[in-house]
Amino acid sequence: MDRAIKLQLSTSEMNYFPDEVIEHIFDFIPSHRDRNSISLVSKSWHKIERYSRHQVFIGNCYAISPERLIRRFPCLRSLTLKGKPHFADFNLVPHEWGGFLHPWIDALSKARVGLEELRLKRMVVSDESLELLSRSFVGFKSLVLVSCDGFTTDGLASIAANCRNLRELDLQENEIDDHRGQWLNCFPDSSTTLVSLNFACLKGETNLSALERLVARSPNLKSLKVNRAVPLDALTRLMSCAPQLVDLGVGCYENEAEPESFEKLMAAIKKCTLLRSLSGFSEVAPVCLTAFYPICENLTSLNLSYAAEIQGNHLIEFVQFCKRLQLLWILDSIGDKGLEIVASSCKELQELRVFPSDPHDEEDNNTAVTEVGLVAISAGCPKLHSILYFCKQMTNAALITVAKNCPNFIRFRLCILEPNKPDHITSQSLDEGFGAIVQACKGLRRLSVSGLLTDKVFLYIGMYAAQLEMLSIAFAGDTDKGMLYVLNGCKKLRKLEIRDSPFGNAALLADVGKYETMRSLWMSSCEVTLGGCKRLARNAPWLNVEIINENENGRMERNEEDEREKVDRLYLYRTVVGTRKDAPPCVTIL
Amino acid sequence: MEICNSYSSSSVDSTKHSASESSVNLSLSLTFPSTSPQRATKQDWPPIKPRLKDTLKVRRRLLQRDYDTCLFVKVYMEGVPIGRKLDLSTFSGYESLLENLSHMFNTSIICGNHRDRKHHVLTYQDTDGDWMMVGDIPWEMFLETVRRLKITKPERC
Repeated sequence: MDRAIKLQLSTSEMNYFPDEVIEHIFDFIPSHRDRNSISLVSKSWHKIERYSRHQVFIGNCYAISPERLIRRFPCLRSLTLKGKPHFADFNLVPHEWGGFLHPWIDALSKARVGLEELRLKRMVVSDESLELLSRSFVGFKSLVLVSCDGFTTDGLASIAANCRNLRELDLQENEIDDHRGQWLNCFPDSSTTLVSLNFACLKGETNLSALERLVARSPNLKSLKVNRAVPLDALTRLMSCAPQLVDLGVGCYENEAEPESFEKLMAAIKKCTLLRSLSGFSEVAPVCLTAFYPICENLTSLNLSYAAEIQGNHLIEFVQFCKRLQLLWILDSIGDKGLEIVASSCKELQELRVFPSDPHDEEDNNTAVTEVGLVAISAGCPKLHSILYFCKQMTNAALITVAKNCPNFIRFRLCILEPNKPDHITSQSLDEGFGAIVQACKGLRRLSVSGLLTDKVFLYIGMYAAQLEMLSIAFAGDTDKGMLYVLNGCKKLRKLEIRDSPFGNAALLADVGKYETMRSLWMSSCEVTLGGCKRLARNAPWLNVEIINENENGRMERNEEDEREKVDRLYLYRTVVGTRKDAPPCVTIL
Repeated sequence: MEICNSYSSSSVDSTKHSASESSVNLSLSLTFPSTSPQRATKQDWPPIKPRLKDTLKVRRRLLQRDYDTCLFVKVYMEGVPIGRKLDLSTFSGYESLLENLSHMFNTSIICGNHRDRKHHVLTYQDTDGDWMMVGDIPWEMFLETVRRLKITKPERC
């Protein structure tokens, strides 16, 4: 009672200030979560906050409608939207599932919102949407598309041609139909505002002269990531006219670069003294990496996860000189030995991702990484807080050591390639190892577990992972108790995704209210049945409970379906706008 | 179980036809086929994104080429009915090939450029079936088009 009165008093004191002052104070609070809290304090604060909110983050595009968004935040300038669930990245969600951008652009355009920035993840974007976007928002500055699909280079051409103030066009991992058109040519000659251009994921030919002219007339260009079609000579010319680059993604080089071309490239690279971040290198010969030796000491970020042609020893030779590295994404061909060298050279390392070069174990070589590499990194890199590690084997002892060495993990994702693989020395489950991680890393926000795991690991997670927001489970657990430990224990859990684990209706239905505190739950190849899902949908009208069927025709059988049938894929999420109308036939919303 | 499987793979028309059949049979079957919790299809495990998958596919293709490249070709010397077989992938270039062949056939063999009456000349049959002088094209390209080798008598060329 007391606190409420105190709060009221303080806000009424603050209300002596004119709105503009309060609004100015709010300007110092950019975090959308803090903003959400502010808006709950009082009616006047809610109103001021509404009109001064410029950046909005929507983690699930079906949780709210564009119209309601605009009504609440009419002064919106920057919007982030996420569509498909995370497992869509791994082929578990049908292409046509949803996450369409068009209704959003349509609504924003009609309401004449002054949109300047749009960041999309796993959305379906059409050329029409891009065209509408390019024509509707005069001040549009920044478009970032991550893992989206549905559009072609024609859509990019509209953006290039019509967005006069474009500063950023960042395309990451999208499926873009490349019409081999002249989209780069569509940037008008007067366009000189580009700061960031990333088209590394485009698969087709690139108009090199158009690109060179564009780069030459963009003095503010800091980040340039080209696609495979930009050969060595062209890259040299690009770097020569953009020595101010901070972030570079290279394309694909010819295998046998002539010494003269190579010399010219090295000379151009030497002049790029501001270069801090390097990526690309798909299908290049190892010698191409060596061209960057002159500046490798300056690098803080290195992404060689697509450099499948460069063998371990070349990778090691290069990385060992990158003493200032904070971010390293690399293939496991670097090996445990390579990681030991990274551990001794890269003392500033904060984020490490090691990807599998042989995910299905088809090759005979033994250069993949093991627990040895992980332990070495944890011992050598005191600032490490995020890791994604694909490996062939793991032990509890190693994980316990890692936990002791690195209590500061925020993100810990371990993927042992073979499902259900136990500790390779003791043959026990890895419950204790992961238990040590969650117990030591009090700030852990994201966790992915793998290997042989019983319900016990979930007991530990529920007990210790107090800050955990996202948990990914695959081929783990024994009974419903496992899932219940997590749902009951992890108070801050927002996203839970589970596949191929024996959790069923009892776990799903135990605490329906929990799902209102979470963004979403994904369960595929588990033990939940249609009957269980129907009961959940009945008890929780604020949830959309979606069943994604194995085959297109599944829907026709809805009426006759046995409620005991196991559901192939379940995706549920809280929403304030009810059932969506754009679901395809393979999705049933209960 | 079989009913469901065939149902899922049938076309739209036959689906409508079999729907009534299926509905009768549904009531008879006790359980539906359930997906095995241990299923890990190659498509979706381990969890890596499409762009990395594509990159690795290309790498595998190139690696396969390396593994498969033990390029055994037949070598005949003109006038000698019995030929030899040689793994071209073990040689680094034309020089080492010639040296080895000269050793193998106990005679001096040269490439086309320095023809004279004394030395044998090395020729090859390419993928088109034509007989060509060895040495004109880059070594890597040669490896890709060579099908067999022939050491010809000096006068022939």
